[in-house]
Amino acid sequence: MSITLDQVTKHYAGVPVVNDVSLDIAEGEFFVLLGPSGSGKSTLLRAIAGLSGVDHGRISLHGRDVTHVAARKRGVGLVFQNYALFRHMTVADNIEFALRVRHMRGRARRKRRAELLRLVALEGMDNRLPAQLSGGQQQRVAVARALAHKPEVLLLDEPFGALDAKIREELRRTIRGVQRELRITTVLVTHDQEEAFAMADRIGIMNQGRLLEVGVPHELYARPATRFVATFLGAANLFLAHRTPDGIQVGGKTMGISERSPGSPEYEVVAVVRPEEVEVAPARETLGSRYLGHGVVDEVTFTGALERLRVRLDEAVHAPLLAAGDGDGSTALQVTRTRHAHRGFEVQQGQSVAVGLRRVHILPTPLSSFTACATSAALADALSHQPLLAELVARMKTRVALRIEPALGRADEPVDGQGEFFGTTVIAAESDNTLRAEWLLRRGVKDLLVLPSHAAPPQRVLIHWMADAARSATLAVSASVLRHVPAEAVYVGIFPGRGDSERHSHGMRELLDARSEAQAAHGLEMRTELHFGDVGKELTRRLAEAPAQMLIVGISELQHFAEAFRTLLDGGRWPVLIVQRGAL
Amino acid sequence: MSFRKPSVLPGFGLTFGFTTFFLSAIVLLPLAALVLSAGSMHWSDFVRVVSSPRALGSYRLSFGASLLAATINLVFGFIIAWTLVRYEFPGRKIIDALIDMPFALPTAVSGIALTTVFAQNGWIGRYLEPLGVKVAYTWIGVTLALTLISMPFAVRAVQPALQEVQRDLEEAAETLGAKRPYVLWRIILPTVLPALLTGFTLAFARAVGEYGSVIFIAGNLPMKTEITPLLIVIHLEEFDYQGAAALGVVMLGISFVILFAINLLQAWGRRRHVRAAH
Repeated sequence: MSITLDQVTKHYAGVPVVNDVSLDIAEGEFFVLLGPSGSGKSTLLRAIAGLSGVDHGRISLHGRDVTHVAARKRGVGLVFQNYALFRHMTVADNIEFALRVRHMRGRARRKRRAELLRLVALEGMDNRLPAQLSGGQQQRVAVARALAHKPEVLLLDEPFGALDAKIREELRRTIRGVQRELRITTVLVTHDQEEAFAMADRIGIMNQGRLLEVGVPHELYARPATRFVATFLGAANLFLAHRTPDGIQVGGKTMGISERSPGSPEYEVVAVVRPEEVEVAPARETLGSRYLGHGVVDEVTFTGALERLRVRLDEAVHAPLLAAGDGDGSTALQVTRTRHAHRGFEVQQGQSVAVGLRRVHILPTPLSSFTACATSAALADALSHQPLLAELVARMKTRVALRIEPALGRADEPVDGQGEFFGTTVIAAESDNTLRAEWLLRRGVKDLLVLPSHAAPPQRVLIHWMADAARSATLAVSASVLRHVPAEAVYVGIFPGRGDSERHSHGMRELLDARSEAQAAHGLEMRTELHFGDVGKELTRRLAEAPAQMLIVGISELQHFAEAFRTLLDGGRWPVLIVQRGAL
Repeated sequence: MSFRKPSVLPGFGLTFGFTTFFLSAIVLLPLAALVLSAGSMHWSDFVRVVSSPRALGSYRLSFGASLLAATINLVFGFIIAWTLVRYEFPGRKIIDALIDMPFALPTAVSGIALTTVFAQNGWIGRYLEPLGVKVAYTWIGVTLALTLISMPFAVRAVQPALQEVQRDLEEAAETLGAKRPYVLWRIILPTVLPALLTGFTLAFARAVGEYGSVIFIAGNLPMKTEITPLLIVIHLEEFDYQGAAALGVVMLGISFVILFAINLLQAWGRRRHVRAAH
């Protein structure tokens, strides 16, 4: 591996700006770190360059641990957004800077300079000053300068940010050409997904300090694992859908047969439909894809090669649309059509059309939507506006449904009818939380969030499961939560009794297993802690240690859960997400 | 450029007229009066006054100590400006405000204060005395006073330039393998050099014209610790206006030559960049 990052973490004023990032970049690979501004991508790049230290984790370049090695000894070349050329030096002096520092002889230096200028197509510009070059030319000089000392790794920090579109395109080709010719491992940081697609061998997408997903461009586009990646990489329509024994159902109509999972009960999922996978036709019969429903064209925009439509689905189509297009809050379905499709069927604003979906991708996230559950409509409505819940809903681009259960928590109410609850059910933390939680969990709630009214987005999420049957699901839910909250994840392993050495080593093994499973199966980086004693007490103690903590706990049966958690839950001080799996 | 050229900003005629009038009334006319007054002397008298051993000694002290003070401020002004721009520490704002104190203080007060501290029985002077270093009433004291009063000019000239040196430049140099001293020498100093020269010029100009703070600490021994401005005052006190004017003209001339030389140096530095490009 050319660049290896292992649990790299960097805090700034208490907030993790780079949060537990682990990544391998192969020799000669062109890797693009993509993310919105403030996602931590530039900080990560600077950490690789050695310009800013890390609080935790390791950075290796070609197998050499450089975590504590100064920037000038790391052998990297760095290109800045604003070129950072030495303005009082000529192009030649700029390029030869690294060579002079290394006391290279004059002739060898001139030879290398000529090579580099040829590489970036700036022959004969040797004696110009940076001020006499165009932006694109200056950035070429910066690239040549960064390559002069034959670094093993080339790092580019938004190198095209200050350039206009046409120059950008040209410089992109130059840099890609140079990279191919030298076969140098390159990391480029950008917020522009088009740029990432155009240049990358692989893309890593960052948000809120976390590396969410890594993959080759078309894979990431076609099969994103998270809402964020789905909507950040191009436009996407997100539906709340149901996975049933017959297949994926959107708005009650079966869509993705291929994603069938026989035997399992029905549950709620998030479906991604790219605008180009939506088909519109004059009538249901003329659709080439699966019919979703009818809709009215709200808007037609011509953008050259493509035509963009916004289609408002009829109310009769019960397909809850979470976010359409760029997530601008409107609930119209976004559609893009080629010129060819446009010629086949011209549409006007206000026209009624049949809508079909060609391809539906289901996000593997277990958190689809939230349901605020209370004994009255007013309470449920108040709960749905709780700040942490509102924040989660906004970040996950999902929605909160209201549900009124007048008998919530009443012990004499008979348990009947399972499978009525979809998504994550939320209740407000009061005094009898354990009772109400049990009531809901017995009635088939899988994920239950007990939410104190004052709870804010957590800075640390503690993870624990009481049975191995719930382990995988707990990790999946935790990973999903942590993709949307810039918090630190800590797995708290608790074993009964006192920690003698044998138990200790057994416990450590379990922790390591949990950590590697979290990383391999869910892309979740978490720290681990080992405690001995009573589960409820240890977790309460740990939660009380610092403000802004949250607990995610996995359970597979209710009896022990109530015993262990009564005190912790009834205290109602912390948000607790209960994941119930494996009990059928 | 033609004066008639229509400009986006109105009022050029008015402001230009005001500028010429102001410069003439405040700067040029008094200077012309000075030169005229000296010109009314007989040439041999003029030469006798301006080349008397006492006058020559005072030039040496005035310009020597001023150049020395400006040089000291060039170095330490840079360091102070660097500290203020680059580091965040408690009391930074206070220190930043203190820099301007010599601007605000009546110079005589500075002189008295310095003398108190550096006299043979002063706070610092008493420890320097056994070492054989006399500050008050020697050229060292003169230099010290001039350094004090010209220090803000050097700091304030360099500060904004340092603020503009992008961190990126240093970081770029660092990733290219340069050590800190090399970065300072090859990247930072060349970038702020024009500002440093400006600071030097201002500090020097201020020091040459200084009178108030020096006369207290200098001791004013003819030939030894007598600065030219003092000699001029002595001539005035003897009602020898022409002699005073003659010395003034010489100071004017030397100052002009030195300032002009520094300006040429700056211009040369700028041109060098441009020429290197062709």
